[in-house]
Amino acid sequence: MSVENNNEWNPKIIVIACNWCTYAAADLAGLNHYEYPADIRIIRVPCSGRMDPLFMLRAFNRGADGVLLSGCHPGDCHYGTGNYYNRRRQMMMKRLMQFVGLEPERYQTSWISGAEGSKFAETMHKLVEDVTALGPNRKLRDER
Amino acid sequence: MNDFTQQIQDIASRLLDNGQVDVFIAWHKGQQDFQVQPYFARSADEAQNIIFNDYSIHNLSNSLLKFRDSKEKIGIVVKGCDSRGIIRLLEDNQIQRERLYIVGICCPGMKDPLQAMRDELGFNHKPESTELAAKCNDCIQPNPVIYDELLGTEQSPRVQDRFARVKEIEAMSADERYQFFEETISRCIRCYACREVCVACDCRTCIFDEMRPQWVGRENNTTDNLMYHIVKASHMAGRCIECGECERVCPVNIPLMLLNQKVIKDVNELFGPYEAGMQYVEGQKPPFSMYEESDPDDFL
Ligand code: SF4
Ligand code: SF4
Ligand code: SF4
Repeated sequence: MSVENNNEWNPKIIVIACNWCTYAAADLAGLNHYEYPADIRIIRVPCSGRMDPLFMLRAFNRGADGVLLSGCHPGDCHYGTGNYYNRRRQMMMKRLMQFVGLEPERYQTSWISGAEGSKFAETMHKLVEDVTALGPNRKLRDER
Repeated sequence: MNDFTQQIQDIASRLLDNGQVDVFIAWHKGQQDFQVQPYFARSADEAQNIIFNDYSIHNLSNSLLKFRDSKEKIGIVVKGCDSRGIIRLLEDNQIQRERLYIVGICCPGMKDPLQAMRDELGFNHKPESTELAAKCNDCIQPNPVIYDELLGTEQSPRVQDRFARVKEIEAMSADERYQFFEETISRCIRCYACREVCVACDCRTCIFDEMRPQWVGRENNTTDNLMYHIVKASHMAGRCIECGECERVCPVNIPLMLLNQKVIKDVNELFGPYEAGMQYVEGQKPPFSMYEESDPDDFL
């Protein structure tokens, strides 16, 4: 991790995106020149079903200030059912993370289809706003 | 209690003698009354060592995992909570029903061996203590849910409000909660006793033993400990049978059931009533191996 040499703090936000929808939406947002903050880093996965809660935990562990998991709307999964399974997991996991004290705004989930370039940009704006308001995340962050 | 001992011995000798089982899993005596240990009897003679007393608290269903690759037939004694563990294993295809002969005991409640050690030895001498173990005070299922033979008379559940502790924590602010868990869980020495004793932890390779990639750091520090406990709790979702063994064996008194029960409470609220291991229906799936299109969500 590099030494931060500017005093201004910018949030580090990890977006875990399904290849078939949210990732395509990010692409579309770019094509259409929708602006969204540069504080997000996208990680592409093949399906919502691949979104192991460990990805989110690991992100916080390694210094993320916020995490968004985003996949296809219910009924639209490229593989049929991945997002349904993931939905159950995420609902349980979000509550568990709040229980151990994480602010709900830091760990969010969304449905963004491949045609929703503008929704992608909007969601990123809102996400960055939410996380910036909370400030840097200390919780779960690796001590080393 | 003593007639349970006699009854179990008789059953075990009978089964071992006529070859109905190859091994019979129960308890045998330790140096002190409260030091009973799990025991694997392999002959009618050995069956005479079997004992059942106030301290036969161990969930033996977990030891069936030792036999998951063998073909041996197994006799086993289970109390109410332990019997749910057997259903858990059947659901996960870890053991076959035909290989088991299950002796169920309607459980009057057990005492905590560690507490007994403190009470009976040392300065704080009060051998008359009759308190039940914490997990038995909160028992929701004292009667076996699966068995071939049942001993004792049906008991009623002893639990009052099993989510009381969870609600207490929920009422705190986010930062207070984090501080609470940080302080509590930083005590963990990562001995993994809570995993080893758990019947729902039946994975052949546990994620915490995985080296490539190494998902959770092995250092014994607060964040790695927190990661361990969050991941363990999430793996228990829809699978924990609330036998309370994890919390009982923890050498540093980590309230592991707090996280487990939080997850149980949420699963019940979100996806409808579900208690892991209450009933074995072939082909039935636990809540995280299935879904409903109408599941609730708060996705953006
Ligand atoms: S997590 Fe604890 S209470 Fe749940 S099944 Fe495992 S040992 Fe039993
Ligand atoms: S902690 Fe998780 S991965 Fe490890 S044995 Fe238990 S359920 Fe399996
Ligand atoms: S038994 Fe207790 S100390 Fe050992 S790993 Fe589990 S929580 Fe930590």
